[in-house]
Amino acid sequence: MDKILGIVNLESSGVHVEGIEDYRPVSAASFLGRYRVLDFMISNMTNSKVNNIQVYIKNRPRSTIDHITGTNYNINTKKGHIQILHGEKAFSSEVYNTDIANFLANKEFIEESDAPYVVIAPSHFVYIQDFNALLEHHVETKADVTIMYQSVSNAKEAFNNCDTLELGENKEVKAIEKNRGKYKNRDISLECYCMSRSLLLDLMEKARKTSSLYWLSDIIADSVDELKVMAYQHKGYAACINSLKAYYDANLELSDYYTLKGLINDDWPIFTKTNDTCPTLYKEGAKIQGSLVGNGCIIEGEVINSVIGRNCVIKKGAVVKDSVILPSSLVNRGAKIENAVIDRYAIISHIKELKGDKDKPIYVKRRDRI
Amino acid sequence: MKKQKMVAMILAGGRGTRLFDLTKKVAKPAVHFGGKYRIIDFPLSNCANSNISTVGVLVQYESVLLNSYIARDHVWGLDIAGGGVYCLPPREKDSTGFGEYRGTADAITQNLDFLDQEEAEYVLILSGDHIYKMNYDKMLKAHLDSHADATIAVLEVPLKEASRFGIMNCDDSDQIVEFEEKPKEPKSNLASMGIYIFNYKTLRKYLKEDEKNSASSHDFGKDIIPTYLKDGLKLQAYRFKGYWKDVGTISSLWEANMDLLSDKDTLDLRDPSWKIYTGDNNAIPQILGPDAQIDTAYITQGCAVNGKVKHSVLFTGSRVEGKAEVSDSVIMNGAVIGEGAKVTRCVVMDNEKVPAGMVLGDKNSKDILLVTKAVINAKKAEEQANG
Repeated sequence: MDKILGIVNLESSGVHVEGIEDYRPVSAASFLGRYRVLDFMISNMTNSKVNNIQVYIKNRPRSTIDHITGTNYNINTKKGHIQILHGEKAFSSEVYNTDIANFLANKEFIEESDAPYVVIAPSHFVYIQDFNALLEHHVETKADVTIMYQSVSNAKEAFNNCDTLELGENKEVKAIEKNRGKYKNRDISLECYCMSRSLLLDLMEKARKTSSLYWLSDIIADSVDELKVMAYQHKGYAACINSLKAYYDANLELSDYYTLKGLINDDWPIFTKTNDTCPTLYKEGAKIQGSLVGNGCIIEGEVINSVIGRNCVIKKGAVVKDSVILPSSLVNRGAKIENAVIDRYAIISHIKELKGDKDKPIYVKRRDRI
Repeated sequence: MKKQKMVAMILAGGRGTRLFDLTKKVAKPAVHFGGKYRIIDFPLSNCANSNISTVGVLVQYESVLLNSYIARDHVWGLDIAGGGVYCLPPREKDSTGFGEYRGTADAITQNLDFLDQEEAEYVLILSGDHIYKMNYDKMLKAHLDSHADATIAVLEVPLKEASRFGIMNCDDSDQIVEFEEKPKEPKSNLASMGIYIFNYKTLRKYLKEDEKNSASSHDFGKDIIPTYLKDGLKLQAYRFKGYWKDVGTISSLWEANMDLLSDKDTLDLRDPSWKIYTGDNNAIPQILGPDAQIDTAYITQGCAVNGKVKHSVLFTGSRVEGKAEVSDSVIMNGAVIGEGAKVTRCVVMDNEKVPAGMVLGDKNSKDILLVTKAVINAKKAEEQANG
């Protein structure tokens, strides 16, 4: 019997990734030239030997469904399985489309699991973590709920709208508030929770009775006085992809060899769906530095400190700098791109310069022709 | 109408002795190629793309890795009900003792029960060590249209090179009238590609007879095809146009990799309508460091480059460290070129580590250097002797 039922949760309510989210949830967006954002959380689960995984999705599920099959993520698909669950009922307003509403719509699948514990982690966070260590800590401290958190010193610029934890003695959680970017140093909740499966079912009921606007994080915040809520510190790289800038930053941060190798190694591979794309061809006169490149590209121009997705073509004389280009885009001769996020199948030509700001990268829509 | 059933049989038992250390532990069809592939991915992907659902792979030499590799038939989309990839090593049978495959034809003879069981109507014989893309379904159509007993795929080669191949001499309608193995004075430039389609019933009869013939070497080219011709059976040539390479030697393997860098590359691995599938390996995307200098290169996922790479092919998980220089070389899976090392006209074997500062290969040398552990150790000893 597996100890843990893994739940890859919806992106929380504060997530707003301009442009990208018009086509798919950010968790299904291309990441680092080869992955989808949610590959990290699913791989954390499968590398932790969690064999039964529920992935919750709400809007625009095509991309996610297309991407996820058990065989891609190294689990025994007979003994375990990856289940894609969505709230089947229509919501009169998007504000009611909460994780709790989706859990309730699929309650029978949470009930029928025989795992005593659940680990719930949203799909828009990028980090690596062995969830068995989290469970061990949870059991040791006899907590009702354990929240994983990260101590950060950049809470002013990043992790906006994330929960922050106020910690008491022995890392007991005293209160949960929102990060409004007022302070530099904060203990940011990674919105990853470990609890017994029965407590999750109870909290779902309690949330339903309290308000139909409630998310799981809200009901946990309400319960810190009644329940023993403990914190577990995550160490190492962590990013919350809750805005276009966060998406852009995480891509560029991880295009550094050592940062990336610190995150992904042979012991903790990140699984994804293969596209059977051939290697990338760099032609004579290409210049490429400090970048991460997917397979199947043809690079003739200049690429500096950027992330280039699968099957992109960068023509001679084109310059791509500090940018993220999603798969199958074309940057034509003479185009200059800086601080931009270019969505899939875009064609950039006949333009002298497309320049965003480091703090506010410019976004080019899917299939756009510029 | 029931679809004509063609079963593919891939001959993958050869050692490939002219690849030296590359095939010391793995069979030639399992040797890596083109950054992310293994040679056998080509016939297997061709089968999948030609809608062939049953593929037998005849293995013999060092087959442990090859067996487990081909067993993952979903990689090529061949995990179809009623089909699949079958690994066929020599086996002990009810009526015979344990033997080995004595030749290409004998390998098929020993698996006639498999072909019977699959109810094969046509048998496609392929070699597991050629790089090419080919639609076998089209070849079957040509075979059916010509009402031949067997069809052999042929490639036009330059006449001066024809003496290296098995040459088919044909009449005006491309019916084969004569077959000459490596002729000194070739009469035609149509070389056999070692790809045959046989009507199964006839082939079965001929293989059974060949089995009893103690003078036979049990080889398709040397025995079966000549007997077909002698008996007046209809053998048709099927002309193939496109990239085809037998990668039997270090230099031809190197050359085939270099072909991928050329503007005249005709293999076109990018073609989305005829993908070559391969076992995926969860490698990270390729990463080019701040000091990387890349000039004409074919690089795949898992590679990390912070040095200089010129006119070279880098395979999965290989690494070129800072100030290292790689030119006109093939760096195989997981190999590392240490800081400041220089590698020129080399094939660096899987997982070998060229130490920092070591210089290997020469841009003026005629031969390609296969960099093995022994080569690295010898160079180390030489460097020490020279102080």
